[in-house]
Parts: sequence; C-alpha cells; structure tokens
Amino acid sequence: MRFFLTSVIKIIPVLFIISFIVFFLVRLTGDPVSLMLPETATDQQREDLRNSMGLNDPVYIQYLNYMADVVRGNFGDSYKYNEPALEIVLERLPASFTLAISSMVVATLIAVPAGIYSAIKRNTFIDVVITGSSVLGKAMPNFWLGIMLILLFAVHISIFPVSGSGTIMHLVLPSITLGTAIAAEMTRLIRSSMLEVLGAEYIRTARSKGLLETVVVNKHALRNALIPVVTIMALQTATLIGGTLITETVFSWPGMGQLLVQAVNARDMAIVQAATFIIAILVILSNLMADLTYRYLDPRIKYDD
Amino acid sequence: MKFRMSWLVLSLLVFIFALVACNPDSSEIEDPDAGSSGDDGEAQQEEPDDNELVIANGADMVTLDIHDHNNTSTEAIHVNMFNYLVRTDGEGGFVGDLAEDWETVDDTTWHFTLRDDVQFHNGEDFTAEDVKYTLERVANDDSLLEYGNYNQIVEVNVLGDHEVEIVTENPEPALLNRLSRLGSGMLPSEYIDEVGFEGFLEDPIGTGPYQFDEWVRDDRVVLVPFNDYFEGEPQWDKVTFRAIPEDSTRVSELLTDGVDIATNIPPEDWERIEGEESVKLADSPSQRVMMLILRTAEEEVTGDPKVREAIELAIDSEAIVDSLYEGAATTTRTRVTPGNTGANEDLYGESQYDPDRARELLDEAGYGDGVEITFSSPSGRYLKDRETAELIQAMLGEVGITVDLDIREWSSYVETYGEKGFDEMFMIAYGNSMFDAALALDRLTQEQNEGETDYINEEVEELLLEAESNMDPEERIEQYQKAQELIAEDRPQIYLYQIDSVYGLQENVDFEPRLDEMFYVDDISKN
Repeated sequence: MRFFLTSVIKIIPVLFIISFIVFFLVRLTGDPVSLMLPETATDQQREDLRNSMGLNDPVYIQYLNYMADVVRGNFGDSYKYNEPALEIVLERLPASFTLAISSMVVATLIAVPAGIYSAIKRNTFIDVVITGSSVLGKAMPNFWLGIMLILLFAVHISIFPVSGSGTIMHLVLPSITLGTAIAAEMTRLIRSSMLEVLGAEYIRTARSKGLLETVVVNKHALRNALIPVVTIMALQTATLIGGTLITETVFSWPGMGQLLVQAVNARDMAIVQAATFIIAILVILSNLMADLTYRYLDPRIKYDD
Repeated sequence: MKFRMSWLVLSLLVFIFALVACNPDSSEIEDPDAGSSGDDGEAQQEEPDDNELVIANGADMVTLDIHDHNNTSTEAIHVNMFNYLVRTDGEGGFVGDLAEDWETVDDTTWHFTLRDDVQFHNGEDFTAEDVKYTLERVANDDSLLEYGNYNQIVEVNVLGDHEVEIVTENPEPALLNRLSRLGSGMLPSEYIDEVGFEGFLEDPIGTGPYQFDEWVRDDRVVLVPFNDYFEGEPQWDKVTFRAIPEDSTRVSELLTDGVDIATNIPPEDWERIEGEESVKLADSPSQRVMMLILRTAEEEVTGDPKVREAIELAIDSEAIVDSLYEGAATTTRTRVTPGNTGANEDLYGESQYDPDRARELLDEAGYGDGVEITFSSPSGRYLKDRETAELIQAMLGEVGITVDLDIREWSSYVETYGEKGFDEMFMIAYGNSMFDAALALDRLTQEQNEGETDYINEEVEELLLEAESNMDPEERIEQYQKAQELIAEDRPQIYLYQIDSVYGLQENVDFEPRLDEMFYVDDISKN
C-alpha cells in the first residue's frame, strides 16, 4: 500500500514538469488564432479574437492563470470545441482503451506461442521463419497494412466493415493492424528471454529431475522469461491508449490519437494539456500494474514496504 | 501455468466483448427525446437501408455552435437543422427561407417580414425575438469566430411577432449575403433562455427539416426527421454524416456500399470509382481559387509590373489543371467566379500562357540574364498544392526566373501569412463564404494590403471603397467588375484556377453537387 502511495505522490512533480514543457512548447509553435480563422480573415478580426482569448497577455501571466485553473482541476475549454477539455479527452478513453486491449490480445496470441516455439526450436527452419516474419511484421508500416487489410477483408471479401466504430466487427481489422506490429517486437523479446532462461541452471535441474519438457518450458522457464515481456506489454498498452494516430485515421476510429494530433495542429492548448495529463497518469498506472505482475510472477521480488 | 494463461486471454476477450457490447459509444452526445432512431441502427451502419442516407466527410463536424466556426463541411450538416432568413439562388440572387419578404428602409436599415408558420423542434413558434437573439449574439460577442462577419449589425428591432428591422453601422449592401450563410441559422431564444447555451449544445434544436439525434466525435453525426417541418415531411428516416479522414478508406466505404456519398475524392482514386458499375463520380466548381500573391512595392523584384506579367505568362495553368487535377478545375483570371455577386465572367475560364513574351518582358525589365525570387507554398492544405508549386517553379525556370521554393506545413505557413512575412510571392487558395465580391477583393484595399501586396492603384481603391457601401446593386456590380479588370492587368494577385469539389456517389443516388458545398439532404434522392 505504501508502495502504491509513494508511486502516486511521485506523479505530482512529473505532471508539473510535463505541463510546463507542454505549455511552452505549444506556445513556441505559434499563434492559435492564425489557425482558427480562415485565410480571408482581416488583421482586425485576428486581433479581436486574440484579445478575447487573452493571448495578448504576457506569457508568464498566461501560464500562471493556466496553472491556477489546473490546480483546481480545470484544464480550460478547448478552443476548437469550446467545451471543457478534460471531458472531451475522457470521452475518447473507452474507444482507445478497447482498441488498445484488443490489440494487446492479438499481439499476445501471436507472440507468446511464436516466441516460445522459436526459442525451443532455435536455429531450425521454423525459428528462421518466425524470426523473419517478426522482422517483416515490424517493418510493415501500419498505414500500409491497414489499407491492405481493408482492401482484402472489407472490399474484396466483405467480412468486416471498412471503418468506423460501434460493433465488435469494427474492432477486428484495426486490432490486427496494431497487434501485428507489437507481436513482432514481443516475439523477438520472448525468444531471447526464453533462450536466456532455458540456459539457466535451475532449468537443467528441472530437466535432470526427469520432468516433461512441456512442464519445464511452460512452468519453469516461461514464468521467468515473462518478466521483461510484462514491462514491454505495460508500456505498450499505455502507448496504445495514448493514441495510435495512423491506425485510428485509416479506420476512422474515434480514439485519443486523432484527438491529440488534431489538437496539436490546431494549437488547442487545453486539449493537449488534458490529454498529456491523462496519458501520463496511464503510463504511471501501467507501470504500477507491471510491478504488481512481477511480484506475482516472481515472489522473490519485493519492494521496500 | 498454461491453464492460467489461457484463462487470462479468455477473460481479456470477455472483457473486450463486454466493453464493446455495453459501452459502444460512451463518447456520444445523445439526444434522449429525438425520435425513434438510434436504438437499432448503429450495428447496421455499414449497410444503410433505402430510407437512410449516409454521407462521408473528410473531417468531423467542428461544433454545434453555428456562430463559432468557419468550417464549410460543418455548415453542410447544420443547414439541415437550422434555417437562414434568406437563401442564395445559385445565380447571385436571393430567395426567402424564414423571411417572406424584405426591403431596405434607408441605407442602414432593412425590414424583414417573417413566415408565421414555422416551429422549432420543441414545438415553440419561431418569432422575431429569435432573429434578434441570434443576430445580436454573434454581432456582440467578440469571442465567437463569426463575430467579424456580423459586427456590422448594430441592433435588431422587433416590430411585431413576425416583423424585424436590422440596423447596420454603415450602408451594408452585402447584408443578404451575410444572412444566407453560416452564422445566420436561426436559434431558439426561449429554449436557450431556459436551458442555457451549454444545454442547447447538448441538445440543439432549430427550425430545419431534420433534428439532432447524436454526435460521436470524430465518428458520426446522426439526424432524424422533424415531421412538423414547415415545408412538409422530410424524406429520410435517418441521415448520418460520417467522418472518414483517410481518402482511401472513404473510397473503400463507397465501393462496399457503406456510404451513399463520399466527399473529396482525390484524382488518384477516380479510376477506381469509374471502373466500378455500382458507383459514379460527380463534380461541381467550388468557391476556392488558387492564386499567387505578389509584393508590388517598388524595391521588390516583383515591384516591376513587367516581372509580374512575365510570371503570369510563364505559367501554363491549363497544363496544371490537366496534369494534376485531371481537368477538374477551371482556369480563371479573377477570384470572383460565377455564382458570386459581382463576378466578371469575361475573366473566367481564361489564362494567358505565352513563355516567349514572358522572356521578352523580363528582358525589357532588365532581367535578361535571369532573376531570382522566393516563392512560398503550403503543403497538404489544398488538393495538390505542393505539386502545383513545384510545377510553377519549373515553368518559371523555363523563362529565366530562378525560384527559391519554400514549402511548409500549414501551421507554420499560416503563421507567416498572418504576420505578412512572405518574400516576393506566395500561393494560397481563398474561399468565399460570402458569395460576394466584397469578401474577395477587400483584401486589396490599401488599408488591408499594407505589408502584403502593398498594391496601390487609386482607381481600384476608389472603386472598391465605393462599392463596399453602394446600395445600388447594379452600379455596385459594375464597380466590382471594373476593379477586377484593373486588378487582372496590375497583377498584385495572379489567379490560377478554381478547384472543383469531386464526390463519389452510389449509382442509384441522385445528387447535384453545389457551388457552396452544402448538403441539403432533401434535395438528394435514391432510386
């Protein structure tokens, strides 16, 4: 419990630093007003809007005003939507979360068996095929894979809908697109981690006890080999929830990625801040989850309670 | 362990199913009392039935606040929910919508008689109070994005339940243009008084043929019919506007019958659509004109009129239209194209390609050995913008103008644009939401062009300033037409072409694309 609390307290300075950096980075990129009005707007129209948005105040005043609101839990209103930014960001979480989890499931279903198998069958033809495919999986751009999947499974063979969200069928193609790239990375990680573990002395002991190879691999080796994998999975999940712009755009999936990138392009400060804040919390939470999973996987791991 | 792993995976799968099943769209704003639809339609959205219309846009609706955006594709959705007082007839004239009749009382006062049979979606009557509320909100609140287009209105006086007077600060010949475009959709004053503007945004009502059902941001906007619409029952049971940003996905949705109409089909995909029997293309000129803007101050290379003329003569805009746009654009020498008040049709459809004469002109200007200019262009903002700039660079190079090409992503481009910080020449494609020459040409008045073109021609200045407040429509049109001729000769701006909007349609859909890019969905039909 104390471990949990200290982790949570550690978040606060991190969030302050992030908000400071994001605030000034967004300001540095320029003036939001020029993006909000059409090309035909006159200088007077730009100036009026800038004044009404408080953008003519000195930057440090703007920052202080902004932080005063954030401390009270108010990230301000989105310039674009003219609604509270935090609400808009939170609206996206279910869609992002669903896609992130289902992509991780796809990735796990591919990577765990493939990784174990190629480790056991090291340097055989199968190993070369699996390792080769994972290089290919990593190298294929999501953009291309997504469009190919649409052409094949939605246009030529009409099994899945082309784009959009709302039903489980809508989830399949984007999950495969994202899952494949993650699986590629995970497979290689599991393979090398398994190889390391399989060479360890306790595995030799287990084998010499006369245990079945499947028991050795699945019970003794895999559990230990999974520790680095869990770290990667946790980080990947957080990244996925934080948004996967390309896949979301290709499949018109209403997730955080589209929101965040559009907000950055429109210099919509409030949304960028609120989204960064939420993503930071997610990353920290998923790290916590990873830590807890380590303990489960290897009871020897203890934190200073 | 193996057993546990499989349980883990299985429970994750169950979890996802649960998420999708019970919480498909917690991100949506839903209108609880808007008609019957929305309960069973979602799962089937990829297969619209005959009485449902699905339109795919490249971007999501921006907002439900009609005063706080300047986005054409958002207006194209709103026009089905809200009505204007008057509508353009497509030929530079106006027809009544919520207004039955109108006249000018004096140079700054307009009198409108309103229809008395119009109801909002909640059953309340539309009255003069609503006109007053709507127009005064946007004319007085400087934080609204449309404020600058309405602050000419000083006040709106209610003369009776269905009679209003609009008073402007100065004579305002383009008032009807303003009232027939985004920002003028009539809002329910009583309802907003009751629920507040926040409440209105969550459950907006208007007078239009369709009412709001739901909006899932970056996904879809759904409208359902309003059966008490004053012009009779609407024809569609449900209208869905989907946001599909990726071009190839939008085309795939069209090919699989997922949508009835898809906007902004890029030239690369035309063949794909034309090769299929079940779908077709439709196009219409749009209000966007691609143009070059030049500095004309004396100390600049482009300050010499001969250099500017040489630039225009060196560019083969017809070749650009044919090669990059596959013909889906029209060359023009004016920005005020047909369909706009004050259009000069003599300059439309024209171009002046003559590279030999361009070389002579440069020679006469003293640049026989060549000259260098910097040319800025955005990338990715308009269809084929970067490609056009590269072709222009090559064409100018042919006659001896070395172009230092400065291509930038839009957010950085628009920053320099706002600061008027470009060098000799830059490219931009202006729209014209006002359908009036004033919006197109006011930027060339000396007050506004300072630091940008620095264009000075006293005759043009006089014509533009007079036309701006000339309440005699015919004389005003003549003034604008004359100004366009002079501008085409002086070339502070060199006009290249008007870009078409290209739509993909299902074969059975009957839809005439409009110059204003609106979707009046009851004008669209399916056989």
